Amino acid sequence: MARKEYDTFVLTDLALIPEDKEMELIVRDLTPADRRYKYRSTFAMAMVSKSESKYPDLLWVRLGRGQLQEKPWSIKIIKEVNKFS
Amino acid sequence: MPYPVFKDNREFIKALEANNDLVTIQQEVDWDLEMGAIVRRVCEKKSASPYFKKIKDYPGFEAFGAPLATYKRLAIAMGMKPDAFVPEISNEYVKRTTGDPIKSILLDKKKAPCKENIWTGKDADLFKLPGPMVHDGDGGRYLATWHFVVSKDLETQAVNWGMYRQMVFDEKTMVGPVLPFSDMGKMFYGKYVPKNKPMPFATVIGCDPLAGVAACAPSPIPEDEFTGMLMGAPVELVKCETCDLEVPAHAEIIIEGEVIPNLLIEEAPFGEYTGYRTSPREPRTVYRIKAITFRNNPILTVSNMGVPTDEGQLLRSFSLGLEMRKLLESQGIPITGVFMLPESTHHMVVVGVKPIYSNIASQIANLVFGSKLSPWFHMVIVVDEETNIYNKDDVIHALATKCHPIRGIRKYEQSVGTPLYPFADPEDRKWSRGAQVLFDCTFPLHWSKSDLPIKVSFNNVYPKEIQEKVLQNWKNYGFKD
Ligand SMILES: Cc1cc2nc3c(=O)[nH]c(=O)nc-3n(C[C@H](O)[C@H](O)[C@H](O)COP(=O)(O)O)c2cc1C
Repeated sequence: MARKEYDTFVLTDLALIPEDKEMELIVRDLTPADRRYKYRSTFAMAMVSKSESKYPDLLWVRLGRGQLQEKPWSIKIIKEVNKFS
Repeated sequence: MPYPVFKDNREFIKALEANNDLVTIQQEVDWDLEMGAIVRRVCEKKSASPYFKKIKDYPGFEAFGAPLATYKRLAIAMGMKPDAFVPEISNEYVKRTTGDPIKSILLDKKKAPCKENIWTGKDADLFKLPGPMVHDGDGGRYLATWHFVVSKDLETQAVNWGMYRQMVFDEKTMVGPVLPFSDMGKMFYGKYVPKNKPMPFATVIGCDPLAGVAACAPSPIPEDEFTGMLMGAPVELVKCETCDLEVPAHAEIIIEGEVIPNLLIEEAPFGEYTGYRTSPREPRTVYRIKAITFRNNPILTVSNMGVPTDEGQLLRSFSLGLEMRKLLESQGIPITGVFMLPESTHHMVVVGVKPIYSNIASQIANLVFGSKLSPWFHMVIVVDEETNIYNKDDVIHALATKCHPIRGIRKYEQSVGTPLYPFADPEDRKWSRGAQVLFDCTFPLHWSKSDLPIKVSFNNVYPKEIQEKVLQNWKNYGFKD
């Protein structure tokens, strides 16, 4: 099965993003089953790695003004976090 | 007496078609960047408005791009002849909006087309609407790019319509910047948030063209009444489904819900009216939705902010300039006109004046920089009546020749700004801090007449009879123009 793909916006120095540690971030779904839901955002508890192969899904990285970084990272989403209950 | 204007966008689309100013696109277009790219190119080439009949993944929905990105479209929207000159459109706008406000009327829900379909509960899902990904790299899909948000003051019950962009976050959530000095900013952050009260809102998408003009105009008159003045007839409103707000009955899509106090979610980046993606991705105002109502085969309006000229730049320049004109005239300043250049992304305004007393340019700058309008522009050029304010070449000539590089330039520090200024330091953007400047292109009054430079132009340095003779014989000399 093809890997799922997400992206996220990193507003700090990329080097400051902790790898292999649980953290909360906003990700956008780039490959939903129903295409109408593409770019749906969600708060997620996840672990990321700058290695493209470490975790099950791909994570594309954009900087604060939308600049797409050339190489994707990988991500394991542990759970969605609901901010509205 | 109503002016020959349009009660909804559908009539306006037909009028554009009749004036050869519409391209109906039957071929399927993708909401994911393709539609945005088409609208962007339309703005940059000043092409006809695109009317998208078939949107990928969204059968039954249509979209209408760049609805008011040219003066021709504005003239048509005002019910004027399509080739009306900017000063004519300006005078008409000032005339219509200077009289008594026209109160709106309430229609029965059964007569309101925007109630033809009603989605509530789980059905009220923002991804069921074809919100476009407007530019590659945007923070999300922007459903609301040419629209307005209706809200009501908690204490005075005054109603505000304002254009505040909204990005889709998830099925039920939109986020967007509501600047602290905007009417809705003062209402929400000044009154609802301190009481921790959610503020009901209704987003109106695909309104008639003049309601869109009113919603982005910085006028003190309530926007629904202002729209009525532009139309010469009352706006027809209808009650919302889930709150005590009223919305235009003939609009295409209405999204109802609440603005949530004390919760902010990251919004942006977004291609903005300055022609850059400038304002930071940062925590911004959160809208949670409760209902979506819409007409059969609804037509989403899509504006694409970027380099000039889009409708945001054109109409905000137009109305900011004309509200400045009203302000200066109300103070009895002997101005000859005000024109804000859309190509300056409404950053630069040219004020024509009869310089009959010293430092009149400073008086003008102090007034306009001290007004509610001021966060949105930072350059005032004051010229005398020798300069045609509508002619960019003439204005550049005056700026480059009459403005003294030290005495003619006055700087204003510590002003209110916006996070959108590309030249501002990141910290200033964060706190909406700005700076402003006056370019005084009038010659000092104390210069003696014989020292006064004389403009060397065809109209200025030849006797009338010679001018007439040359004009009459122009073709005979062999010129083709
Ligand atoms: C297309 C467009 C998008 C805009 N988006 C925003 C926005 O997101 N936030 C904001 O505060 N103002 C925005 N503005 C500016 C307001 O619409 C403008 O200040 C308007 O006059 C609102 O009026 P008020 O706040 O004076 O009622 C936008 C204007 C346009 C034309």
